[in-house]
Formats: sequence, C-alpha cells, structure tokens
Amino acid sequence: MLDKEILNSFQKIVGNENIDDGEVITNAYAYNWCIEFVNYLENKEPIPFSSIPKAVVLPSTTEEVQKIVQLCNKYGIQFKAQSTGLGPWNQPSTDNCVILDLRRMNKIVKIDVKNLYVVVEPYVSGAQIQVEVMKYGLNIHMPGAGPMASALASHTSMCGPGFTSPQTGHSARNVLGTEWVLPTGEILRLGSLGLKKESDWYSGDGPGPSLRGIMRGWVGTKSGLGVFTRVAMKLFPYPCDAKYIAEGHSPLYDFQIPDFIRAYLLDCRTFKHLEKSFLRIEEEEIAFICSHMSSFAVMAIFSYSLESLMDKIAIGSMKKPLIIVIAARTKREFDYKQKVMDHLMTELNLTNIIGSKYEPESLFYAECLRANLGYHGFIATGGFQSAKGQCDTAALCLNTERKNIPLKQKYIEKGVIANDFAEGAWMTSYESGHYFHMEVPTMFDQTDVESVKGVAEYMEESNQMDLLQHLGVPFFIEGDKMHDEWGPYLMNYHNWLRKIKEKFDPNGVSDSGCYISSKNGGSS
Amino acid sequence: MDEEEYQKMIKRCVRCSVCKWIPQVQIKSQKYASACPAIDIYNYHPYSGGGKIILALAYEMGRIKPTEELRDIVYKCTVCGNCAVACKYMNTLEPLEIMMKLREKLVGEGCGPMPQQQAYIEAIKKVNNPYNEPHQKRTDWIPNDLNLDPNAKLLYYVGCTSSYRRKEMAIAAGRIMNKAGVPFNILQNDEICCGSPILRTGDTNTYEEILNKNLNTIESKGIETVVFSCAGCYDTFKVDYPLTRKYDFEVKHTVELFDELIESGRLKLTNDVPISVTYHDPCHLGRNAERYEDWDGDVLPLMPLVSINIPPKPKRTGSKGIYDAPRKILKKIPGLKLKEMERIQEYAYCCGAGAGVKSAFPEMALETAKTRIEEAEDSGADIIVSACPFCSTNLQDGIKDKKSNLKYFDISELILMALGLEPEKLKRATEEVVYNNVR
Amino acid sequence: MTMNNDKILQNLAKICGSRNISQEPKNLKEYSKDLSFLKGKSPLCIVWPSESQDVAKIVKLANDLKFYVIPISLYSKFKHHGDSLPKKDKSVILNLSRMNKVLSIDRKNRVVMVEPGVTFDQLVPILKNKGLRLLLPLNPTASRSVLSTALEREPITIPRYHWDSSDPLLCTEVVFGTGDLFRTGTAAGPGTIKQQQKMGQAQVNPMGPTQFSPYRVIQGAQGSLGVVTWATLKLELLPSIQKVYHLQSENIQDLLDLQYELLKYRLCDELVILNNMNLACLLKHNQQEISELVRNLEKLNLIFVISSRGPLAKDKISYLEGDIDDIRAELGLKFSEPKVEISHKQILQFFSEPCVKPWRIRLRGAYQDILFLTSFEKIPKFISLMEANYKKDFGIYIQPINQGTSYHVEFDLYYDPEDNNNINVIKEKILGVGIQLMDNGAFFSRPYGLWAKEVFFHQSTETINAMKKVKKIFDPNNVLNPGVLCFDD
Repeated sequence: MLDKEILNSFQKIVGNENIDDGEVITNAYAYNWCIEFVNYLENKEPIPFSSIPKAVVLPSTTEEVQKIVQLCNKYGIQFKAQSTGLGPWNQPSTDNCVILDLRRMNKIVKIDVKNLYVVVEPYVSGAQIQVEVMKYGLNIHMPGAGPMASALASHTSMCGPGFTSPQTGHSARNVLGTEWVLPTGEILRLGSLGLKKESDWYSGDGPGPSLRGIMRGWVGTKSGLGVFTRVAMKLFPYPCDAKYIAEGHSPLYDFQIPDFIRAYLLDCRTFKHLEKSFLRIEEEEIAFICSHMSSFAVMAIFSYSLESLMDKIAIGSMKKPLIIVIAARTKREFDYKQKVMDHLMTELNLTNIIGSKYEPESLFYAECLRANLGYHGFIATGGFQSAKGQCDTAALCLNTERKNIPLKQKYIEKGVIANDFAEGAWMTSYESGHYFHMEVPTMFDQTDVESVKGVAEYMEESNQMDLLQHLGVPFFIEGDKMHDEWGPYLMNYHNWLRKIKEKFDPNGVSDSGCYISSKNGGSS
Repeated sequence: MDEEEYQKMIKRCVRCSVCKWIPQVQIKSQKYASACPAIDIYNYHPYSGGGKIILALAYEMGRIKPTEELRDIVYKCTVCGNCAVACKYMNTLEPLEIMMKLREKLVGEGCGPMPQQQAYIEAIKKVNNPYNEPHQKRTDWIPNDLNLDPNAKLLYYVGCTSSYRRKEMAIAAGRIMNKAGVPFNILQNDEICCGSPILRTGDTNTYEEILNKNLNTIESKGIETVVFSCAGCYDTFKVDYPLTRKYDFEVKHTVELFDELIESGRLKLTNDVPISVTYHDPCHLGRNAERYEDWDGDVLPLMPLVSINIPPKPKRTGSKGIYDAPRKILKKIPGLKLKEMERIQEYAYCCGAGAGVKSAFPEMALETAKTRIEEAEDSGADIIVSACPFCSTNLQDGIKDKKSNLKYFDISELILMALGLEPEKLKRATEEVVYNNVR
Repeated sequence: MTMNNDKILQNLAKICGSRNISQEPKNLKEYSKDLSFLKGKSPLCIVWPSESQDVAKIVKLANDLKFYVIPISLYSKFKHHGDSLPKKDKSVILNLSRMNKVLSIDRKNRVVMVEPGVTFDQLVPILKNKGLRLLLPLNPTASRSVLSTALEREPITIPRYHWDSSDPLLCTEVVFGTGDLFRTGTAAGPGTIKQQQKMGQAQVNPMGPTQFSPYRVIQGAQGSLGVVTWATLKLELLPSIQKVYHLQSENIQDLLDLQYELLKYRLCDELVILNNMNLACLLKHNQQEISELVRNLEKLNLIFVISSRGPLAKDKISYLEGDIDDIRAELGLKFSEPKVEISHKQILQFFSEPCVKPWRIRLRGAYQDILFLTSFEKIPKFISLMEANYKKDFGIYIQPINQGTSYHVEFDLYYDPEDNNNINVIKEKILGVGIQLMDNGAFFSRPYGLWAKEVFFHQSTETINAMKKVKKIFDPNNVLNPGVLCFDD
C-alpha cells in the first residue's frame, strides 16, 4: 500500500477510481506467466507471483504518465509500465514499485495511408490495428505473441519477431516517430516528432544520431527506461484481398479463403538442405510466411486441440519442415509466385504435402493473415516459453538448433519438459531472407514444481551453451545478473548500458529488473 | 466444476489477455474488438476472465482475504461467458466456471452475494420472484382472450421478468401459440422463479431448493415440453438443472418453437414489416445455452507432462447455442432487413444485466447496455431485437439513457406484426413511435 | 602548447609510425576547407592508421593529452558539408583511407564487410563479378567511401529494399570517444568475429547487443560519437533483366500518386523523382549538353526500374508490367514521353555505377544542397516555397525512403565557384530558405553546413538534452569532431 499522502498525490493526477493500492488488485497484478521459473532462478519459491506492487495506476494521457513519473522521482518509488501485460517482463522487481497499466491509453491516433504508417497508444492490440488498416489495403507487423498483444509494446519495449517477418520485418525496425516519457519525467519525442514547428510522425531518427539506438536493441528495455506513450509504426501492403470473413462457430470457423493465397509444407529432410532451401526460397522474395519449426510444432499450428493434433501423422513424420505461405494481390502476381514455387520445388527436390497428403482447415489461412499461429504453442501442456532467441544467419540458427538437441533431450528424459523430439524450434526469415532468428519453444507444466525447475535449469544451461559456443545472444539476457555475466563476453556492453541507465534514469525509478541498474553488480 | 478440477485449473492461466477480446479472427474493427464489459468499464486486469482466475488462485493461496474489495470485483460480472468462448478457442480453461465456483466459496464465507442480490434472493424465497411483487399478481399479464389448455403437454414457463416487467413478451408468446393452434398451458400460481438470479450469485444451496421445487411441480403434471420466452430461465433449465438433477421433459426457447412452426407452415408470416433490425444474441440463449455433455473417457498419458483425453472431451465453445432459429425467423418476415452487429453469436457482447449486476451495480448494467446500443446503432439498423426479457429491460434502459433513436422489440413482437396482429407495446405506443419506426 | 603538440606528435608516431603522419602545410590546408561555406581551422596533423587498434590508441591518447580527433574515411576535394572541418585548435585528422580492405563478401548471406577506405569504384565491380550489388545512393562519386555514405544515412535509390532508415548499414566495429573498441549488433559476440563465423554467423543483424543498438547512435553522428573501423553492409542480387520507365509531368502530384502505388506494392526497384535539371546532370557531362537536354525534358521526371533475375526473370517482368499497367489505368493519369531519346542504358548506368566526379558539379562546377525529410503531402508545398524564394534554376531530387514512409527532398543550387557575387547570393539563400523550410516543418535529419546549427533551434529541448547525454556517455571528453551537431553549447 502507499502512504496516504502519496496515494492522494496519485489520485489528484488520475482520479480516485484509477488508482488502487488494495490487497486484491495489487496481488492480482503480481501474477504472470513464467514468473514461477523466474522466481526459481532467483532462489525464491517457484510460484507465479512476483513482488507485489504498491499500487496499480491507470493513466489516460501522456501528461498523466509524465506527472506520475515525476511523482515517482519525488517519492523514490519505482514504476513498471505494462500494456496487455503478457509475460514476466511486466512484473515489478521490487515491492517499492507502482504498476502503470496503460489500458486507458487505447487510441489509434492516426492512420496515415499516404505515408504508410499508423500511430497508436499502448493499449491497441495488433488485431485492432490490422482491421482498421486493412480497410486501406494495408497491414501491420504483429509479433509471435499474437494479435491480442500490444503493438506498441512489441515495437518499443519487447522483442519483435513475427510469422510474417519475411514481408513485415521486425518490430524494432518498423519504428518511426515515438513519444517517450523518460524516467526523469521529460517527454522526449524522437525524430520529426521532436520538431518545434509542424512536428510529424514519419521519422524517428535524428537530427544527427538516432536516439532509437538508446530506446531499444534486439530486445527492448521492458519499462526499464521510461514509458512509451505513442509510437508510429510502418505499415505494409496487405498481402492479398483484404476481405476477411470467418463464418460458423468457434473454434473451427469457416474462413472464406482469399483467392490468391496458398500454403506449402515442405520437408527439407536435413539441416543442410533446410538452410539451402530457406535461403533460396527467400531470395525469390515471394513468401508472406516462411518458417521452419519442428514437426510437432507444425502439427500444433494446424490443430485446435491436443486431441486433434494426434491425427496429423503425415506431418508428424517430417524431418525438417518448412512452411511457406504465398499471397498475392493480383492473379498475375499469384501465378508468378506459384510458378516460382514450382520451379524451386523442382530445383530443390521438395514436395508440397498440402493438397496431397494434408489439407489444412480454412481457419489456418485466417490465422496466418491474423498472425495467430504462435498461440498454438500452448496446446500441448498449457505452458511454454522460448529458450534461445538469437538472430543472424540461417546457418547460425540451424547450428544452434542442432547443438541444442542433445541438451533439450537431456531434460526431456528427466521428464520435466514435454517431448517434442528435442527439435522444437521456430525459425523465421526477415526481410526476404536477409537474416533469420530462431527460438526454442519449450513446453512445460507450470503447475508442476519439478517441471518449473526443469525448464528453468534447461534455459540456464541453454544460455551457457550459447555463450560458450559463440552461438549469439538469446532473447532473455536481462537484469543485472545476466548482463554482468554476459557483458565481458560481448565487448563489455553492459558498462555502456549502465551508463545509459545512469544518465537517463539518475534516480533509478524505472524498474530495472528486466533491464539494468546503474549500480555495478546489483539492482537498485 | 468439481473441487479437484478447480484447484488444478486456477493455476493454469497464462495471462495472455485473450479473454478480453472476442476471438481474434472475428475482430472486424477496433471499436468492437472487446469481449468483457467488466474490464471495459473498470479497466483493472482482475475484472477480466483471466483476472478472476488469478483472484481464485490468490484466494486459495491465502494471499487475499474474503473482503468487500474482493467481493465487489468478483460480482461486477454478468457471467456472460464471453471470456470462456475466447479462451476456449484454443485453450481448455473455464474462466466462467472458475468464477462461479469462486462466488460459491465467497458465499460460503459469508462474503457474498451483494446486499442487493441478497435482498432479491429473500424476495424469491418469500414471494417467488426477485421483484418482491405479490405472488398473486404473477398471472396478471394474461389477457382475457388468451386460450390456455389445461390438458396440454406443452408448458409455457413465463418467468418472473416477463410476468411482472415485460408482460408484452408473455402476451406476444401466448398469442403466437394461439395463432399457430398450439395448445399450451402455464403453471399459473404454481410458477416460481427458475432460480437463475440465485444461481449466478453463487448461492447454490438456495438455488437447489428452487430447482427441486420446480422440477417436482413440472414432473407432477406430466409435461412433455417446456417452452421459455426468457433466455435466463431457458438456460437454467436446459444447462444448469441437469447438472444437479436430470429430468425427462424437453426444453425449448420460443424462438426454436416459432421457427419450427414457421417452417411447418403452421405460422404464416404474411404481413409486411418494412423495418431494418439488428439481432442481439442473449448470452443465455447463445453461448451459455450449450449443454454439458457427459464424458466417460480416459485421460491417457501420452508422455511426461502431456495427457490426452480419449475420446476427446467435449468442450463447450458456445458453438451449440441458439443462433440460427431467431435469424431464420427474422429473414422470413416480409419486408424486414436484418443487419448484423459485429459481435454476434457466441461472441456477442453482453447486454449488461445478468447475474445480479442490474441490481447490485446498476451503473455497470447501464454502461454496458449503452455500449451495446451504440453497436446496434452502428449496424445501421433502426430496431434492436432480442429474445430475452432481461436483455429487453436493460437495453431499453440503455436506449433511454443514451437518448438513442433506436427502438427495441422482442422477436415475438415482430412475429405478431408479421402475423397481422398488434403487439402490446404498439397499442400503448405514441403515434410518433408507431409511425416513425415501424410503419 | 608547442611542447604538448610535440608530445602528441611523438605519441602518434609511436602508434602508427611517423611515415603515416603529415604536417605538410599543403595537406593541412586541404583539410581546413571544403566546398561548404564554412571555415575550418588548420589541423595539427593528419594521421593514417592502418588498423582498428591504432584508432583505439589514438582516441585514447586524445583523451589523455587533450587533443581532438576528426575521423574521415578518405580525403576528397569534393566534400561539401563542412562536417569534418576542424573547429578547434589541436585537431588531428584521422584519415582512414589506408584501412581500405574489403574484408569479406558473403554471397549466401548477401553481406559485405568493408573498412572505411573502401570506395565505390573499388567495391562495385568486385561485387558485380559475384552477381551482387550494393544498395547505392544516387550515382555516388567513385572515390567516396562506401562505409561513410552508409554512416551518413544517405538515401538509397531502391526504397523497397530500404527496410529501416539505417539500411544498408548492419554491424560495425567502432572506437567510441573514450577509446574503447566495440562491436555493434551480433558482431559484439560472444566470441571473436572468426569464432562467430565458425558458427555460421555473418554479422547481419545490426540490432543490439541486447537492449540497445549503438549502431543507430553512431550513424548520423558525423564521427562525433565513434570512429567506425569496419562495417557490414546489406547486399542484393544483381538482376538479369531491367526495364526502365521514364514518365514526365509538370504536375508533381501526379508523379507522387503513381510512385506511391508502385512502392506500396513493391513493384519496382530504383524509384526517383528528378527535375529536368538534375536528370540532365545525371545523363550529360557538360553544361551545354545539360542545358540542351533540360530544354527537352518536362519539368518533373519519375524514373523507376523493374527488375528480375533467374530462370523466371521474364515471367516476373511480365507480371510487374501487367500490374503496373493496371495501376496506371486505374489512376488515369497522363504523362508525357521525353521529346528526345533518353538512353535507358545510361539511366541504368547512373543507378548502378559510381561516377568519376560528382554529377552535381557538371553544370556549373559547384553546388550547395539543401536536404531534408518530409511526408508525402508536403512535397509540393516545399517545392513551391523553394521556387518562390529562389528564382534561379535549381535541381530537385525526391527520393522515397524507408519503404515509402517518408521522403528525402533535395534542392541543389548550382553555381560557378569563381563567381563571388553568385556565391554570396547562394550563401544568403541557402540559410534563409533553409530556415523557411524548417519553419514549415521540413525535417533536416542530417544537419550539415551553414544550416546545421539552425536545425537544432528547431528541435525540442528534450531532444537536444538527450543527445547531449548520449555524447557524455560515448565521448565524455568531447574529443571526437567537436563542434558538430548540438553537442557544444
């Protein structure tokens, strides 16, 4: 709970009904997905509750956010901002923290059709943006977390890979003008948005150096460096006819598949051929989706229940699956893309099992277009998290996957993670094959303490492997302990990160649990 | 949901927030993407379906106590079930059932229902209806010229709200059955509350008393079919009663009956009703009106941590609610144009009244109704139609408060018009209402 | 002071050998001026390091002995932005031209690693032999540094490949102003570059390491935050078929409307709008030919190229042509063909090859450019504003960037460098018009020359404060190229 004086101060900003420091609300906000194994890694009881915030505040404007941050500086309280709030990165790292739930900031501020961007507040989901921009034949990049997640959070603060990355890139690279409440309470507007006269959203860089470099890297600061209140994000052409009609009833809606969309499921058989195929196909710049995943995962993305997964043996026997979805605006384009695929399949000696051995439900196409495939990861055990997360070349990704197999197998044999034949991975292409990322979705049972411990230990060992075998930097290297551990192997980047934190958050009010603190060797 | 399942399931929420939205592939606009009236109004995460699962877990772990703060959050929910539909699109959690169980536990601790809900429960106990109206007046709605057949095997269970508040619906239902030559009877003063308003508050003991009374009454009369014009009563009898006590008679909603009568030609809709309407799916006629199916299968461990159900366990996804019958009826009405809202069928947005919210949190009920009314307005229709007296009351309150130009009719009233008969509401309506909105 | 200078020189000699240091007055004079209207100070010396470690030692030394370092990729007499003119005494020019290796070319991953001294004329043909191409700015000068062009965020001519404002720059090795060596993106590690490459990496992900992206901060900083000693750059594959479209109009809006559709659907590669003057300068080489061609061209020219490669190259061209025809028919816009034959081969040449001397000096011998970013709808306004304020001929170059989310607009003012009267007019105009453009919302994201300081008066205080914090982090003693941007009060 907050001291009365402090509570009153917050109430004056947002109104009594928009701040709550009661036991019920604050406890509820202490809960999140995967906190149980984060706790275990921090030698705490592996329960799905983090530190309990002092209060939860619901601001509705940038100015309110600014005032809240100023108050936090005044009273020495940390803050943690969250939007749709999926994942342990939304949790306070201490109990001297208020959570800023940005739910009331939910506007689509501007859709600029001619300049191909949209400006949104934090609590606008990817799906909400997509349906509005589809009206103009445009599309938004959505992260693997799914269309229900905050698009702003993905673009400014979290990760950013997505199933449609071959055509829509990565969240971090799609950011334009950004409105950012710094931990000091200043409102920083990046790029052309920072012009004193006639500011606008189309550029997030300069003048001179780009402060987007401070804002985030491969992953974001996860509320460790202030609050992003509005962001302009690039839009892309909608890949086919934007008519989107799903009839019938849940879950197996009957989707009216657009004319010019087609899926391919190819078995590349070996890692070497998978790499070759991935690169070759992506060079042709035709894919809307181009992803590799394990056969188990492929079965999952075509299934809507665990039981229905069992009847997909044709897919389950694939060794190195590659899923490609092509989509086109015109028949000419579609014919061309199909021709290219036919040619490539001949060249690479690959066979499409879709149409011959397997036909997906129409809903699969709806989910491809709505970027909802990642959600299928929960089907098997109800819980999963991704180990790894590095991004560079296809070769690196596949090397990592291959080297990970014996490690993952070890934990499968312990019975603490689900058996996906140790090959569970998701790898996608970016920007027509210019780079690739991979991650290893690992299914565990969050209600089983041994499973929680197991997945935690697996992830730690996986991180160690990546570090020592030079396999790149996985997603979740965050927090003082990990940065201090990894920094010396990566040009002592942690020292620079710490300086950034020191300069931009001198009072340490932006919760640094998933970022870095300014003090060497410990969080503030 | 039994205790064992409850204890397991409350640990499984991944806080994905899918429960706050209608199924992702059904989202058609930013404005109408959300599913949950509670969190739409109150904003804090615990108000969502997933949020309540977290509350259940925190409560079981002793992290939170049964306080008014907890009670208020848990009861600020119409148990519309939209969260469950969204979740079960892919997952197997039951946010609605978890929340109902939590309510039961709070009642057990003396921390529920809400005082206003307790008041109407007392009224039900005393005078058999939640409105605290004299029991004798329950049959006041019956027009003199309505034909009732004491020997009929079809029972029209009117329900409290139609009997006392929405008499026009009961009259319309009766007249239609007369027109179709369908012999029916009513329970007259043997009819009492179905128990739905009690059940939804978590007071399962009182509810079971009511349930047994009702089933004893009906079974003693040799009834073969019970038909309801109230979605709440219908859902309670069809879905909830059999979980406690099975019965042999068939249950139908009037839309199902009327659809059959139209299909068979016993009702001929010949009068032109040149209006544009949008249909609001009542939660208790739609997604919640899907029966639980018995499952006698096995849980087969497939591998460590992964078990499957053999055969697959039926999952109530809202797909078997009554959606087609009312739409078929509307499409058969000459001159009528049906314009759908964005959120329909199993992902329809709640009217806001259910589960005692109208009594305990009237501002929430009204706010939710107004949201739904705005969605109806945006459909381009002039009239919003539904098939539940509770939706009727609340939506009409919303229309009034919003000063909307929309008009509300029950589907039975539109059928009357198509039959060339005049609904009660129009008999009482002002000229302006009549001529501007209907003819 | 002289003793200190001597100490500096001695220490520099220890680092890179006295043969790689010059204090020749002729050399010093060359580096104290350029074609901008700014005046620089005479540097203390020029030093040519040959490896990254030398650079790191030099910058460390600068911190210790309190002198300044101005990094340049290579000397060019055509430099005209004033960004590398010494502004303080005791400035040492760090000439990286002897670091001129093409370190690796990776066809499979479409990436090249280059040192700062690698020039366009050096690299383009090597890549061509391997079926690869750089993402080029508009007809760059052959002797320009490839790396520094990327560092300056100079716009590339294929906007559909411009996935982010930072493209084609990927990973870098950089010496920060503290003298610390760092590698950005996946080049940071773990492992040395060799160790990373052994695991299959090619330093193609520029983001990171972890939660910041220092490459973005170095880019556009005009050498004031770090000295890049190598970088990886994105490559694309060479097409086998290319078809040029050249459409003319007096109406800028028509051209903008068409290019919007083409870019939105990713139908073409190179895509530029040029006025008759700039197009003529690109195609012809002397004033007379340029002037004649100008008379035969419409005011505004949209030029785009569709490309394809591989066994289905013709199929691709066919579908692109068809879709483009449909779009044109739908838009119903009328364009004219040039009155004289314009060589498409020459157009392709200026898109794919560097030029010996800057094409912009062909008309009058010198030029000044006003360049900024803006949005689609403001372009006509800015052209009108420029026309209202500058009555002489000037070049217009409009480049959609970042896949069409903004536009680089450039006005090139041509003049005779011997004509002092004209120079004075230009000087006055360039600042005056620049300010007017800024007042109307033009975003000068790359501040150069006379109007550089003015840019920051038009930017919010919060931006300036944040940038100064960044400077304090990466160059706390302000040893790198002091006086540029907003870092000095």
